[in-house]
Amino acid sequence: MEGRSLQNRTGNPLPGRPSEATNLADILERVLDKGIVIAGDIQINLLDIELLTIKLRLLIASVDRAREMGINWWESDSSLQSLGSGDGGNGARQLEQENRELRERLERLEHALGVGSESQKGSKK
Amino acid sequence: MTDELARWAAARGPALRARAEEEAVAVLRDALVAAALDERGSPQAAEQRPEPREPEAEHEPGELLWAYCVLSAESPHPVHQPGVAPAGTVEPIEAAGLTALVSRVPRAEFGEQPLRRNLNDLTWLERVARAHESVLERTLEESTIVPLRLCTLYESDEGVRDMLTREAPALLGALELLAGREEWSVKVLVDPARLAEEARSRSDQVKALEGELAGRGGGGAYMLRRRLERQVREQADSLARELAGQVHAQFEERSLDAVTRQPQNRELSGHEGDMLLNSAYLVERERVSELQDLATRLEQDHRALGARIELSGPWPPYNFVPAGTAAVP
Repeated sequence: MEGRSLQNRTGNPLPGRPSEATNLADILERVLDKGIVIAGDIQINLLDIELLTIKLRLLIASVDRAREMGINWWESDSSLQSLGSGDGGNGARQLEQENRELRERLERLEHALGVGSESQKGSKK
Repeated sequence: MTDELARWAAARGPALRARAEEEAVAVLRDALVAAALDERGSPQAAEQRPEPREPEAEHEPGELLWAYCVLSAESPHPVHQPGVAPAGTVEPIEAAGLTALVSRVPRAEFGEQPLRRNLNDLTWLERVARAHESVLERTLEESTIVPLRLCTLYESDEGVRDMLTREAPALLGALELLAGREEWSVKVLVDPARLAEEARSRSDQVKALEGELAGRGGGGAYMLRRRLERQVREQADSLARELAGQVHAQFEERSLDAVTRQPQNRELSGHEGDMLLNSAYLVERERVSELQDLATRLEQDHRALGARIELSGPWPPYNFVPAGTAAVP
């Protein structure tokens, strides 16, 4: 049933392309973030895995350029918002949160390294 | 001299610090992306990570069941195909008129602790994600399926049967909704240089600025050039927005349901140009050829922008199953 196989109309002209040819981003954005969630005996919340989410958000999403152009539909995609944040909020808020976390992390790192200092505390714009 | 330096430092300090901080965040981000991509390329890199291994988890004995998807017990499914772990091929487990496709996986690799670690290894994750996807795609060739999210794991056959029985109403509902329908994905990509070129040629304001600029030199010309650049950028962005909106609307019109996703990162997807749209559509099987014609037509219509309309499918209907009955723990 050749015609029923997943095919890329452009990019990869081979019908029923081997899965290695499929863009990894296409697969990860589906298998990690979509698909029915049913309780298993082993409970893993994919979104709790810190390193995974940080990496994937960086890898899958190149949001800034799109937002610059005023394209932001995904911000109303409720299932997407569960990525990392749990209960809704919008994409911008998530990014702010992420930004804040990165800053805090940076401060901790600086602190540990003995660079940076007290001025971090009160002087957020 | 020292005083002056001190004053300068006091005045400029906060701004410099803020800038350094921004740069550091950017560097950190790049380093994370680079590390993630590296790991994917070379398995040894993953081995070298300083994370402590957990020896007791390494030796967890026994097996677990990894579940891929659910289909009607009457629907055909492929047999003996490889699963996410080399040892176990895909097998069916039936209950409540439903079949779950599962494969046996070693607890030492897929138990809770090792799984957490492995999920952070992009090489491992890629292999497993592709294997999971591949089982779904093969099954989809013959049957309507409900795809399960990655890492749906059970202790025993009994656990899988319990799940099927417990979730039967939701699963049967989803299967009914998806029967005879397909998920197709659309991406719109443009060549930013051609987009800017087109924006330049279409805008009267841009032309006026260019005319003005032709007769000028010095500082005035610099300011004008800046204004011109901004004007071209704004015009290009508005063209991009319009194109993405138009394409989405036309596909949506021919579909039962539509989902828009974030544009993908070039480093992972390897695409060329700017991705303006990344969306999925649930469509009646008979109308798929309409989507194909539409993609071809739209691409021709927007040739001037270097636009590519990439239509792919049918995908396992990840984007059109209910979010699930289990709250993620």
